[in-house]
Amino acid sequence: MKHLTAVALVGLAILSLVAWAIQPRPVADGRIILTWVSDDNPARREQIALFNRLHPEYCVELDPANSGSEKVIVQAIGGVGPDLFDCYDGFQLSAYVKSGIAWDVTDELAKAGIDVARDAWPAAFPNALYEGRTYGFPTNAGCNAIWFNKDIFDRCGEPYPKGSWTWAEFIGVARRLTVQEEGGRVRHFGFLCDWWNWPQFVSQWGGRLYSEDGTRCVADSPEACAGIQLMQDLIYKHRVMPSPVEEAAIATAGGWGSGTITFFGAGKGAMALGGRWWLCTLRQYPNLRLGAVESPHGPYRVFRGYGRATCINKNSPRRAAALEFLKYMAGKDYNDLINHQADALAPVIRYCFTPEFLHDPEYPAEDFNAVWRDIMKVAVPDQISPFVNGNVAGRIFEKQLDLVKNGQKTGAEAMKAAARRVDEEIAKAIDLDPSLRVRYKALTEKARL
Amino acid sequence: MRPRARHREFVPAMGFLLPNFLGFLVFTLGPVLFSLGVSLSNWNLQRTIPFEWIGLENFLDLLTNQEFWLYFVNTGYLMIGMPAAIAGSLGLALLLSQRLRGIVAYRTLFYLPTFTSGVALMILWKALYNPSFGPINAAIEWLTGLHGPEWLLSTANLLGLDVEQVGLTLKQWGLGARDALIIMGVWTAIGGNSMLLYLAALTNIPLELYEAAQIDGAGRWQTFRSVTWPQLAPTTFFIVVMSFIGGLQGGFDQARVMTAGGPAGTTTTLAYYIYTKAFQEFQIGYASAVSWVLFIMIFVITLINWRFGSRELNY
Repeated sequence: MKHLTAVALVGLAILSLVAWAIQPRPVADGRIILTWVSDDNPARREQIALFNRLHPEYCVELDPANSGSEKVIVQAIGGVGPDLFDCYDGFQLSAYVKSGIAWDVTDELAKAGIDVARDAWPAAFPNALYEGRTYGFPTNAGCNAIWFNKDIFDRCGEPYPKGSWTWAEFIGVARRLTVQEEGGRVRHFGFLCDWWNWPQFVSQWGGRLYSEDGTRCVADSPEACAGIQLMQDLIYKHRVMPSPVEEAAIATAGGWGSGTITFFGAGKGAMALGGRWWLCTLRQYPNLRLGAVESPHGPYRVFRGYGRATCINKNSPRRAAALEFLKYMAGKDYNDLINHQADALAPVIRYCFTPEFLHDPEYPAEDFNAVWRDIMKVAVPDQISPFVNGNVAGRIFEKQLDLVKNGQKTGAEAMKAAARRVDEEIAKAIDLDPSLRVRYKALTEKARL
Repeated sequence: MRPRARHREFVPAMGFLLPNFLGFLVFTLGPVLFSLGVSLSNWNLQRTIPFEWIGLENFLDLLTNQEFWLYFVNTGYLMIGMPAAIAGSLGLALLLSQRLRGIVAYRTLFYLPTFTSGVALMILWKALYNPSFGPINAAIEWLTGLHGPEWLLSTANLLGLDVEQVGLTLKQWGLGARDALIIMGVWTAIGGNSMLLYLAALTNIPLELYEAAQIDGAGRWQTFRSVTWPQLAPTTFFIVVMSFIGGLQGGFDQARVMTAGGPAGTTTTLAYYIYTKAFQEFQIGYASAVSWVLFIMIFVITLINWRFGSRELNY
């Protein structure tokens, strides 16, 4: 036993020495270390490396382990938060602002000649702007289009889609591209779509999630229900999109976004609704011949816009230094890098109007970049209501959409139940929050008049 | 002992106890009492809501909250596998207590799931439950010629629990995500700590009792029923109590890794609900109230177990 303990101790001592020897070297003296909570991927590391090269007095370090708004808020309130953190939607920004951790950088950016509302894509505004003030700078901006696999189109003798089209036209094409094998198993589906894109379907049918003033959930309107019903019909009626079971059968893990991207990359779908950022993964499929075209539309030609912004922790002792990172995001070097990496689109509009954006010499086959730029012009961000916690509403919608996706409820039944529950949450929120109550009363009285 | 001598021992004793006691005070008792206080407030991480002491309002609210009761039922449903897990642990312990060649290797093999990373196991089970390509459904199809259930994608369950309200409905009858988690839980638990406890308890049963039973002409079953089982009663009682506590607190890892609480909230347990309320919806006061209700439930069930279960501990 004594020998065993001695061997274990010596072993531990050797391992400790090895760990000490291979630990990362501390950065050179005098550099200011900034921590950025964001997701870890090669593109993000390249963005950081470029900043560190351009600004040798700083050293940005990535902290992927603490991403997620709940961690950021709790840590920042506790005084151990990051210097920089990401914001993915309007509700998250409102949560950061209301929690008192997002630094209002309106004046600081103005001094540097940066104006988000003037420079960036409008679809990215909700992630950086809140009630007229600026709390961050968009990291990128995105929208959805239809990716298509040219090989599958060629094999099926289907001409490549072009330009503006409706869902009715699209379904016909998708049907012809859904091919079954002899055993009944689908070789490739005509269409792949992640369900989180549901707000696009709602808005294309003229529906809304909330009333104009945000005081009511109107996701149960006939227009919104029709949009959701189409999503279900694409699975069960038109049979061009995989059901949850079929999706699970082909699901693959890893990569950005979801299994849908790798599924599409592996040739299991002829077309897919997705953003330009899919390219970060799709470029890893060397034999994939890609095309992109505008997404089909319903009665209204609108598309879902989204993005990410980076904000500064108000309680950070290094917030002045962190501001340099936001300025970097507004600059040409960063924006060109984003476009080159295809991490969606550069946040600043003017950098998407360069010849390099349209034809990146390193990727000559990518001749579809104009599609994203054109859609971005009419892309709209997801609606939020100031009167309901976006995560609560999200959970309610998600539950109902699960039932639609499984074929247990129709679009109308689900959206009716969801709208009722969201309205209950609105009532609860205004009951709890006096400032919301005043605002709600003013808006509802105005509407009544 | 003379007072001076006692005092001399008190100081070093305190020296040894203090670090642990301080840790307990700061990291356990402190947060527990803090959460009790918070449960009586409307504390929300979104600071537009002014902090207020609201008494029992959170508790009254959750008692009338349909969601809370749905997740309470989910939590209870996921504990259905508990008797099977305990019986399985006992059976396995009985097998592994035999004097066989290589028994240590067998014991290690069966204990493997307990010291394997839980996340890795869950990912593995997720693949096993794949409705189209998973080996479980492949086996069902091979044996019966029928398509297997949709497992983690389905809201169905053996009792026919409704998805949106507390109640039963034929529409939901079948095998689904909840049942999948139960089966996985039973598999993990059978070779786990309960088995180890039973193994230890079995080695502590005096051999004379078995010899006496043999002399009296008792068969295997009679020996088990009249000697082994009563001698294991304290261990069984302990395992039952701990399983109840674990079951009521459980479900978080599975929901986080395998199902995200879905489909349609059917695998959301109270533990996952607390997390969602506190850290995703920022309602710290409300989440603390749910935690305290959960604590009260665990406390009451343990008391009931203690009150009625301990009667059977006949030695």
